[in-house]
Amino acid sequence: MSLEIKKYDVVIVGAGLAGLAAARELQVAGKNVAVITKLHPLRSHSGAAQGGINAALSEEDSIELHEFDTVKGSDYLADQDAVNLMCSKAPETIRWAEHMGAAFSRTEQGTIAQRPFGGQSKPRACYAKDRTGLTLLQTIYEQMHRENVKVYDEWYCMDLLYEDGKVNGVVAYDIKSTQTAIFNAKAVMFATGGYGRAFSVNSNAHANTGDALSIVARHGLPLEDMEFVQFHPTGLAGSGVLISEAARGEGGRLYNSEGERFMERYAKEKMELAPRDVVSRAITTEIREGRGVGPNKDAVAIDLTHLGEEIIMERLPELRDLAITFLGQDMIKEPIHIAATAHYSMGGIPCNIDGQVQKSPTELVEGFYAAGECSCVSVHGANRLGANSVLEALFFGRHVGKAIARDVDGLGFKDATEQNAQKALAQLETLLTNNGSERVPELRNELQESMTFDAGVFRTRETLLRQKEKIAELKRRYKDIRIDDKSKVYNTDLQEAIELGHLIDFSSFIVEGALAREESRGAHYREDFPTRNDEKFLQHTFGYMKEDGSIELEYADVVLGKFEVKERTY
Amino acid sequence: MKTQTITFNVFRFNAETDYLPYYKNYELEVGQDDLVLDILNRIKWEQDGTFSYRRSCRHGICGSCAIKVNDKPVLSCKVNVLELVEQFGTELTIDPQDKSRAIKDMVIDKKNFWEKYDAVKPYLIADVEEHPDKENIVSKDEAEQLLEADYCIQCGSCVYACSALGVNEDYLGPAAFAKAYRFNADVRDEAKIERLEIVDELGSGVWDCVKCNECAEACPKEVNPIEKITKLHNQLFAENVAAKNVASKHAVGFKHSMEKHGLLDEGELVRYSEGNLGVMKHIPEAITMFRKGKIVLPWNMPKSKNLDEVKKLIKSSSTVEEYKGSK
Repeated sequence: MSLEIKKYDVVIVGAGLAGLAAARELQVAGKNVAVITKLHPLRSHSGAAQGGINAALSEEDSIELHEFDTVKGSDYLADQDAVNLMCSKAPETIRWAEHMGAAFSRTEQGTIAQRPFGGQSKPRACYAKDRTGLTLLQTIYEQMHRENVKVYDEWYCMDLLYEDGKVNGVVAYDIKSTQTAIFNAKAVMFATGGYGRAFSVNSNAHANTGDALSIVARHGLPLEDMEFVQFHPTGLAGSGVLISEAARGEGGRLYNSEGERFMERYAKEKMELAPRDVVSRAITTEIREGRGVGPNKDAVAIDLTHLGEEIIMERLPELRDLAITFLGQDMIKEPIHIAATAHYSMGGIPCNIDGQVQKSPTELVEGFYAAGECSCVSVHGANRLGANSVLEALFFGRHVGKAIARDVDGLGFKDATEQNAQKALAQLETLLTNNGSERVPELRNELQESMTFDAGVFRTRETLLRQKEKIAELKRRYKDIRIDDKSKVYNTDLQEAIELGHLIDFSSFIVEGALAREESRGAHYREDFPTRNDEKFLQHTFGYMKEDGSIELEYADVVLGKFEVKERTY
Repeated sequence: MKTQTITFNVFRFNAETDYLPYYKNYELEVGQDDLVLDILNRIKWEQDGTFSYRRSCRHGICGSCAIKVNDKPVLSCKVNVLELVEQFGTELTIDPQDKSRAIKDMVIDKKNFWEKYDAVKPYLIADVEEHPDKENIVSKDEAEQLLEADYCIQCGSCVYACSALGVNEDYLGPAAFAKAYRFNADVRDEAKIERLEIVDELGSGVWDCVKCNECAEACPKEVNPIEKITKLHNQLFAENVAAKNVASKHAVGFKHSMEKHGLLDEGELVRYSEGNLGVMKHIPEAITMFRKGKIVLPWNMPKSKNLDEVKKLIKSSSTVEEYKGSK
């Protein structure tokens, strides 16, 4: 079987907001660019963002205030130069999307409407009803499509061509035929999204398996701050499907099985409107101490009935619909059952402010870029604020696209050979022919459940050590898997097996990072070290996977700036 | 929790190995919160890993998982199984959106869907200001004109339920027209006429809609494509793009008849739509219809008692206009 080698200036993996925005910039700049996605671009998870996208547009708001809120929200772990760049470019970014067709909700004056969001000092979240991500994804896709960018949809990226400090392309296969090809390029950009699927209860799409992270890690390249995973307080019981922050914003009240409005004990002043990490911990504590509701006692109740039908139908219609679909609970008539759900990945592939991927805290990889949720610039530090994620994806996607357009002519093109695909081909062959006794869905369940239980909202040395062992066990058992589907046509069994390998590999970074970080900061909470320790841990974690699968850690300085590091109180 | 035993009769086909598709039965215990996607997952994860389907977001926003259950278009992650059981009984048949396009089980080749999407210039056409310091001012009323057409998630439910498409492959179909309307209704767009010329084409354009309403029924996001198709009809007349052809003349003739008689003059309508020569070929049907009293001779055409009311109604609501010197 001869292997096709396709040649481009730039190959982008992932077709959400970040990947598509970069692709459009490169195409407009006259570069020969292709986008690879395992879905169709319009199926990307950027489209699921509900609430909004931040920009200091109004007279009473300011860029500096947006920066401050972001840095404070990050528990001071965000790099302030990156935050400054993103916040100062936010108004232009949003207006650019508007000029390209985004269907924002409007004020009486016809300008872009904005709403308040958690942790923001001003109403700053520009929105399109409760489907902001959808209109942005459609718009960027449409305008990229208008520029005739080449998209390989339903292609699965398996490996990175990385040699002597330079990236020369990727290996991918066509899901429809399992036909493998090399995409040989001067530069590669990863924009593959988050890693929430490592947890059993999560708000993420099935596709969010963090593929790029493990692909990168297997080449010995670092991952940064992986222990920071945001748990959103209001996921629907069981499924974890997101009920937007708007539910609390509009006045939702949380109750346990004893009918107690328990937030009084955790955040007497802010009550339900305390930050996401605080509310998530409160909910999880109630459940752990046996005061949960529902058939499995694995949830608490959020009551919105006092708002009345009119307000619910006007402001929360989509949320009502979701609760009916998933739980058969109508929030107009009864409280609905929710629990904390793994939602957003703050960590990822370390990169500098132009999206250039780092080989270490001080060195860069040549010809390799990343943006969006799979990257760690870092603008979110230890905890992301609502409505900053779509901003990051859209702004940095575009910014990194421009950076590549600027750099690419100076990057060498190294011709790939079929040999470069051997590792990927061997992996495919093994998975297709392995005749072991383990099954993918079972291993995946065990990983997700144990990650939620032992490396989730609450962590201790004991639970993390247990999880470290569990991952080692799963790695061993993974070698003994058998898939049912041996065919070459749209083999999702095969794809799920590859994805499971990715989930296991990057999960070990989450656990090792969390184990070593003996403090509590933002979304990372150690019961045995409940306070923040700036002296020791005002630092980014860099993890490297060794040949034997073990993880080695080092730390890098946070880029501080005009905002003094203070205690984070609300 | 109470469960019910349901038999799922599932379409299976692998283009690589199967000459013909077949159905395979899976029995599952279904709980009250189970969605169709949960069933697809359980078949794959618990019983048969070769079973294939598309899915991603699992909460009704990415549009991947649309299939058919007992011929009803269903976005798997949005539809409760026991509600389908209530409608169809305890045996459910699971099919891909279009069996003739199946590649593997529920996975179909959607090339035709995306080609139709591409055909309507599905993007805002205006000069993109790359570094704007102001947004366009769009009033709330103007923004509302999109009529939620921007809510379409391209799941294809309407397209693979469309009766017109079933008999005419060239027809662009409800999703593409909803998209065309989405941009034509946008005050920022500058290519309305170009898009209208596309949707005016006989065969592929909006005139081939048979108004069966299946698209509106099928849509999981309540985009109501047929409403957008009607709006495009209106725009075709309002912008003088409607070519003088059998379809648009049919619409105008219909209005004429109603204005004149308050009733439909079937014979005159045919003459109006197809011209004096065109009408000749319908003479055999006309004779049959005349015998059954379905049409009358022109001088015997009665008038509605409520002709004045009908005229008022036409005045207030008709979107069909005379051709104003169009092509």
